[in-house]
Amino acid sequence: MSSDQTWSTGPSVIAEPLLELNAVTKQFGGLTAVEAVTFKVYPGQIVSIIGPNGAGKTTVFNLITGLYRPSSGAIRLAGQSLVGLSPDRVVLRGLARTFQNIRLFNNMTVVENVLVGLHTQLQAGIIGSLFRPPAVVREEANAHKRAIELLSFFGMALLEHQEEYVMNLSYADRRRVEIARALAANPRLLLLDEPTAGMNEAETLEAVKYIRRLRDELGLTILLIEHKLTVTMGISDHIIVLDHGRKIAEGLPEQVRRNEEVIAAYLGKPTSAQRGTGDKG
Amino acid sequence: MLNVPESIDSGLLAPDRHLRALLIKWLVALLIPVAVFTFLWSGEALENNVLLGIFSPQQSLFSGNVSAVVQGGIFCAVFYAALIALVGYLVAADDGRRGRYGTIELWADMIAYTVVPVLLISWTNDLVIGLALSVVVIAVYLFLRRRVRDVLHYLPPSPLTNIQVIDEEQRAFLSRKARIGSFWFATIFAVISLVVDVIFFLLGSLSTMLLIWAVIRTLILPLAGYLLGWLGGVVAVRQTIRESTNGTTKNGTSVSRRVSKRQQLERLSMARAREEARNLVPNDLPLQSRGAWRFYVVLITAFVLFYPVLDPIFFAFGTNGRLVGYDDLGYYVILALGLNIVVGFAGLLDLGYVAFFVLGTYTWALIGSDQFTVITGIVTNPQIWPWFFWPMLIIGAIIAALWGVLLGAPTLRLRGDYLAIVTLGFGEIIPLFFQNLDKYTKGTNGVSGIYHPFTPCASWFPCIDWSSYNPVPYYYLILALIVLCIFVNLRLRDSRLGRAWIAIREDEIAASSSGINLVKTKLFAFAAGAFFAGIAGVYHAAKLGTVASSDFNSTDSFVYLAMVVIGGLGSIPGVILGAVIVYSLNELILAQLDTIATNPGSFLYGFKQLFPAFNFTDIRNLLFGLLLIIIMIFRPEGLIPSARRRRELHQNTEETAEVGTLDEPPGSRGFEEEIRVE
Repeated sequence: MSSDQTWSTGPSVIAEPLLELNAVTKQFGGLTAVEAVTFKVYPGQIVSIIGPNGAGKTTVFNLITGLYRPSSGAIRLAGQSLVGLSPDRVVLRGLARTFQNIRLFNNMTVVENVLVGLHTQLQAGIIGSLFRPPAVVREEANAHKRAIELLSFFGMALLEHQEEYVMNLSYADRRRVEIARALAANPRLLLLDEPTAGMNEAETLEAVKYIRRLRDELGLTILLIEHKLTVTMGISDHIIVLDHGRKIAEGLPEQVRRNEEVIAAYLGKPTSAQRGTGDKG
Repeated sequence: MLNVPESIDSGLLAPDRHLRALLIKWLVALLIPVAVFTFLWSGEALENNVLLGIFSPQQSLFSGNVSAVVQGGIFCAVFYAALIALVGYLVAADDGRRGRYGTIELWADMIAYTVVPVLLISWTNDLVIGLALSVVVIAVYLFLRRRVRDVLHYLPPSPLTNIQVIDEEQRAFLSRKARIGSFWFATIFAVISLVVDVIFFLLGSLSTMLLIWAVIRTLILPLAGYLLGWLGGVVAVRQTIRESTNGTTKNGTSVSRRVSKRQQLERLSMARAREEARNLVPNDLPLQSRGAWRFYVVLITAFVLFYPVLDPIFFAFGTNGRLVGYDDLGYYVILALGLNIVVGFAGLLDLGYVAFFVLGTYTWALIGSDQFTVITGIVTNPQIWPWFFWPMLIIGAIIAALWGVLLGAPTLRLRGDYLAIVTLGFGEIIPLFFQNLDKYTKGTNGVSGIYHPFTPCASWFPCIDWSSYNPVPYYYLILALIVLCIFVNLRLRDSRLGRAWIAIREDEIAASSSGINLVKTKLFAFAAGAFFAGIAGVYHAAKLGTVASSDFNSTDSFVYLAMVVIGGLGSIPGVILGAVIVYSLNELILAQLDTIATNPGSFLYGFKQLFPAFNFTDIRNLLFGLLLIIIMIFRPEGLIPSARRRRELHQNTEETAEVGTLDEPPGSRGFEEEIRVE
């Protein structure tokens, strides 16, 4: 994806969707966490999933990445089904994610964390690891270079700390390392789970900048879960709103912002439709 | 700070006051142990026997065995050379911050850690018992040392965490310090040796020839000292950080933004800086630094490599018995290294490791003996068949690895605790399986007549006696196998696969989401661990010559696990030490104490008279259990922990007052371990 192409906000009806969810449902015993969720993500878009707590947003991510298996429905990446694939196979198809509560390998250094992210890009198996033929030695050297390259996306901050153990880094730096690790898998679609959680205003602005750069400079499609409405309104091409496991609205930021159901879901007030039937949202 | 005195050209023999204090500190610290070893124990005896072996063989304990003389000579040369170079390194690396009490404490420490064990070993005339007693003495010493520190209100300064960058001039100064240190050490030691030799000559116990050698030695040593000091200096300079002129990096050149090493170091957190400072030069505790460890490795390697030749000189009798014990210890080390991959690297709790060992043992027992003919009906030529041992080492290992895959494939999808139970089951089933299959395995009666390894005889290659009564070839065989296993361990650990194992151990979900196939990677760990057990099994069968199913017990798995945990999960030197300690305790020390107690001349005889029904081997399990409990309470990360493990276990107790951290770091224990279902 060349970066001098301007992407209009909103779905492009010409291109094929990169990610497609069709009536995806997930039931945990008696609890229906996600029900009949359907949406599409087109290449080059930044799409946000928003909704109050407990709406099922992270569950949708887990379903896409293979941590959960949908009870019914279809999930397709570039036309190929992802259902039933284990998380590592999903990564191989071109999808990477970060976690809401940061899952880094704490007792490894920054570079080592990114090198683990490069696992799918490297070939060395048990024989290669034992005998270290020149091809493997070269591969490891290139992997190290690539890891540094990925870290340099975020400027000097991570480069300076490259030999530091991740548990000693600041919160914002840890988020960045997790994204660098996800980028290492060379994905087409990046799933970010609450990337600005716990950040103050300055850090949030920084994060928004580099999320945009991920799309603009690296050509990634981004699907993110976000709580801060200022972030979602400012950055998204398309917004999907979930509540109680169902999609209640989707569309451009301006459309979603004025949607009655969405406001009701966030504020807890019954909508006019619900007031009519007498039950609370 | 590393202050270079103005008079850097003032010559070799005129050190300034600061350097003089450093010299005295290290010369005394190392002269005392070396003198004790040489004159009070066997260093001198070894040297003399080597020389006699060259010039008048009938008088030497080596009695004409040329290879033994050569080995003894090499050991002597390497041993003293390494020590002289080590002194140079220590003088160069020490930054002199520790002051007067530090010096006294160093001398006391050296006496406790080196002189006491040497004296105890020579008194008890047994290596393992001597070391075990020294452990007790050292524990008491450490306790007393803390008391003394409290009384004197002395707290040793915590190791420097600011890391210095060394320039050209300072490096030259380090090199000079090293040469001065080694030179003076070698000279003083040469003089002392000469004096001792002259005294013995005058008393009539030293031949003229040896006195001539003593004089020659006194002339050679100072020169050797200077050269070896240069070597020590090279090692010290290697551990320094250079000033990089234009921001050279560890990275490739493809990155437009470069970060200099100095910038990286300035940003390191307290914990990380402490780790780095431990190994860099200048150093507060150079005895423990990585540079010093290079010399220790040389010393240990020389000692282990030439041990069969040295043992008769150090201990008057009993060499064979000791070597048999060490041969068995050897395969325990291999088992510990193998289990280290499964439990230490990949974090899979395997409670049934003995199953793979049994598989390896029976593989050779059934193939490399008459049982093969019984089972398959193929008649084998007893001249040719023993050759098969050598490829069988690998084939048996591969068979064990295949079984590892077979047993692992259905079970490795289970979570940690359930996997442990299943492996426990395998540990029970496999030995019983071989016992009940007695039509083929002869069960508890055992298979006998297992072929020993075979090497051909030629005029240029001596005949090696591989019978069960000659432990020496097996000693070298197991040494070679251990070296191979360490090499494989290291290669695996520092590879893409090793990273995947550590990632799985840290966080399975994150590892899986980074593209690591959990089942396949865990299977590799299982297979690799089983591979090592297979090697140990084949060796074991070939050495013993007979194998019975009653030799094996499912509880052995716990002994292997204890070796790994006591030594340090995931740490290669750690698990080797763990194997040595556990095996020594279980098999060597107690049995040896019983033997000593029956000897009327020994210090235990009186004890035995008081309690005639008491056998030391009876309290084996009691002591083993106590050892486990003590280690788990006071040092759960193991005796030589891997750096990672130490961080994992102590990260909550360390001060986290770093300026860079704004919050309580997420991801630490207790902070949202599960993925929240929203």
